[in-house]
Amino acid sequence: VCAWHPCPSTETALGSSDNLEHRRKDRQVRLAAFGINSILYQRGIYPPETFTRVTHYDLSLLLTTDPKLKSYLTNVVSQLKEWLFECTVQKLVLVITCLETNEVLERWQFDIECDKSAKESSAPREKSIKTIQHEIRSVIRQITATVTFLPLLETPCAFDLLVYTDKDLVVPDKWEESGPQTIDQPEEVRLHSFTTSIHKVNSMVAYKKTESA
Amino acid sequence: MDLEDDTTILTTLKSFNSFISRPEHPQRLSEHSAGSGILQSQYKRSMELLEAAERVHSKNRYLQLDQEKKQMELSHKRARFELERAASDSARDLEHEVDRNQELLGQIKKLEERAEEVNKKLTEQKEANDALQKNLEGLNKTLEERDDKLGTANQTIRSLKDEIRELRQKIQNQDSKMSAQTLENQELQEKIDLQQRKYQEVSQLCQSLQAAQSSCSDHIIKIKELERRLVFQEQDFAIVKTVKSEVARVPDLEKELKRLRDDNAYLRESRENCSLLKEEVEGLRKKLERMEKTKEELINMELEKERLTEKLHAWENLGQSTGLNIRKPEDLSREVIQIQQREIALKEQNYTLNSRVRSVERSQSELRAELTQQHSKTLEEQKKREAQDALVRRLQKRVLLLTKERDGMRAILESYDSELAPTEYSPQLSKRLREAEDILLKTQSHNAEMEAQLTKAQEETGTLKLQLQTAELELESLKKQQASATDSNSLLTKEEVTILRQKIEDLERERQRLEEQNNILEMRLERHNLQGDYDPVKTRVLHLKMNPTAIAKQERQQEVEALRQEVTRLRDLVRSLQSGGAVGHSQDDTHNPSFSLSLAPSKEVLDLRKQMESSELRNQRLKEVFQRKIQEFRTVCYVLTGYQIDITTENQYRLTSVYAEHMDDSLLFKKGSNGSMQLMETEFSKTLGEMVALHLHHQKSIPAFLSAVTLDLFSRQTTV
Repeated sequence: VCAWHPCPSTETALGSSDNLEHRRKDRQVRLAAFGINSILYQRGIYPPETFTRVTHYDLSLLLTTDPKLKSYLTNVVSQLKEWLFECTVQKLVLVITCLETNEVLERWQFDIECDKSAKESSAPREKSIKTIQHEIRSVIRQITATVTFLPLLETPCAFDLLVYTDKDLVVPDKWEESGPQTIDQPEEVRLHSFTTSIHKVNSMVAYKKTESA
Repeated sequence: MDLEDDTTILTTLKSFNSFISRPEHPQRLSEHSAGSGILQSQYKRSMELLEAAERVHSKNRYLQLDQEKKQMELSHKRARFELERAASDSARDLEHEVDRNQELLGQIKKLEERAEEVNKKLTEQKEANDALQKNLEGLNKTLEERDDKLGTANQTIRSLKDEIRELRQKIQNQDSKMSAQTLENQELQEKIDLQQRKYQEVSQLCQSLQAAQSSCSDHIIKIKELERRLVFQEQDFAIVKTVKSEVARVPDLEKELKRLRDDNAYLRESRENCSLLKEEVEGLRKKLERMEKTKEELINMELEKERLTEKLHAWENLGQSTGLNIRKPEDLSREVIQIQQREIALKEQNYTLNSRVRSVERSQSELRAELTQQHSKTLEEQKKREAQDALVRRLQKRVLLLTKERDGMRAILESYDSELAPTEYSPQLSKRLREAEDILLKTQSHNAEMEAQLTKAQEETGTLKLQLQTAELELESLKKQQASATDSNSLLTKEEVTILRQKIEDLERERQRLEEQNNILEMRLERHNLQGDYDPVKTRVLHLKMNPTAIAKQERQQEVEALRQEVTRLRDLVRSLQSGGAVGHSQDDTHNPSFSLSLAPSKEVLDLRKQMESSELRNQRLKEVFQRKIQEFRTVCYVLTGYQIDITTENQYRLTSVYAEHMDDSLLFKKGSNGSMQLMETEFSKTLGEMVALHLHHQKSIPAFLSAVTLDLFSRQTTV
């Protein structure tokens, strides 16, 4: 799966696809993948020994080694890339549910505002590695920082990725419609938003209030 | 008989009556005859009458008797009947009695038979009794034999007692041997003590050795430490050498230090100067800025000054331009006030004029309305007149036509009248008449139609003309209004303006309110968006079908089901184990092969159980054996020694002799704390006072006492 190989070679390999748009989308999508991996690691959904350190963009990042999880993430990420390119994605949500009670405990929501006009008029603004690093670092730092105030997940949990798309989209083969899976009376925290060349991503995390709090 | 009797009665009665009647006749006949013969005849008659009466009376009696006889016979018959019945009854009774008799006889026979049987049995039992008694006698004989045997056994017991005495002697010998052995034991113990002392010495040596070894090891450790220290020291040596070399450099360094310090001080001073200078520079800069600001302000001020001077000039020139003799602003203000006053006056005039104009216009409009009404009325009247003229003309025409027709008809008639003479004219006339009439009718109808069309056309034209005129009037009025409207515009616009202004304010207020609502709703929407709500019309939420949560839920369900199955399986296992403990191996084998794991523990369990059972059996057997042996020994003791020894309570022994006279005669011995036996007081022992004194107090031997007691009791028994 080429998305996980170290960066410089893939940068050039994808450059051969000859479209800066694709490269940008890849970067954004990879950013999303790093974010998801770090959330899974920080919240302890998968045991920490299943994560390995991988170097991307001269940064040491945590990625999972679980093959089932990897294949799932690649499926989602590839589809997400397509949709990002068409600018039909509105939100990307990571939902953490408790297996015993089937309640939603946490909800990480990334609102994507796509500037559709910029799609055609792509002025090639090359991003330096520093800006990419800065973006990744900021995302991962925010995720790590939120762990300090999020309540502990004591019961066995599983996660799910939801994508909010336009209504008139054709639903692909393996995807199905699901509910928004909201939390009842959540505590909401807005995180730092960051912009890429055509997207502006607002992120927030909502979690279920614990009874003691 | 009766009938005969009756007939005789009748005949007698008849004869009597006939007799009576004859005599009557004769009586009458004979009345006249002689009287004496009357008396005789009367007497005869009376005698005959009497006889007849007696006869009748006797017949009556005879009849009565007959009747009684008959009655008697009847009663006889009845009695006989009854007697016969009674006889039959009694015969029946007799028969019953006979039967009963026979039954009773039968029973008696049976009872007699039973009695015979019972007697037989009795005799048999008596015979059996005799036999039993014979047996008893036999048994008694055997008992006596046994008693004899017992006596012989007692003799043997006595012999055994002698043996016991011998055994006791042996025991004493063995005691002496034992004492000798204890002595040996002591010697051996002393040896052991020696050995132990040696052992202690050896152990002490060992300890000393170990101490020495430990000290050795300590020394070795110390040596190692010293070696390490040596090494360190060598290292230190090397370091010292290098340090020395460095130390050589020290004076140079000191010189440099001095230089650097001087530089430092110089630099610090210069820094302070620098800072001072910087402050000055900053101050100067600020001054510069302020100066520049002031310059700008100056420039602005000068510009303003010029403007103001120009204005002043203009104001000053105003007077010259307007030609109003203005030299000071007070004059200007005065002029202005005057102008304002004039304006006010003019406005008042204006208002009054406007009001007048309005009123005039109102009147004008009213007049115009009246005018239009009048016009319309005149038009209507004109139309009416025209219609009536038309009517008149039509009527005149009609009249002319009618006259012409009449003339024509007259002419025709005259012509026909003139033609009448020569010819017959009636059918032709009538024909022509009819034709003429038809033509007339047609023309009349045609006329009427034409007239109707005409009137319609005229009416239409009249209405059209009316409309035209009214439209023209309206147009004229509108034109006039327009002309007047421009004059009154200034008045109306102000009112409209205020109305419009109010509308604008209302709309603005509404707009603000709607804006606020909009903001609130947008905030709510944002909040919902934050929470994850979405507009189902525009967006869709998608996720992969095989997502980790679904997979985890499935796995969890499978786990739960597997756990449930395991639980049920384990429960069955436990139940089988609990029930299978009592059951043997074979049954376990018949269970499912899934219980193969359970076989092993159950086998162990069964082995253990078998062992347990076998050990319990062994225990039981041992117990039985011990009991038997104990019982044997006790009986043997009793037989040999003549005393039954029972343990009543702890350390108390009750001895009952074989030859005891009463069941309660017993001796009580208590075992003291030092092991010696003491005799306790009992009723029996009170009777043995002498022997107690002799054997226990004097001789201090319990066996002698016991044997003396047995001999005494034996002698008593045998003598008794």
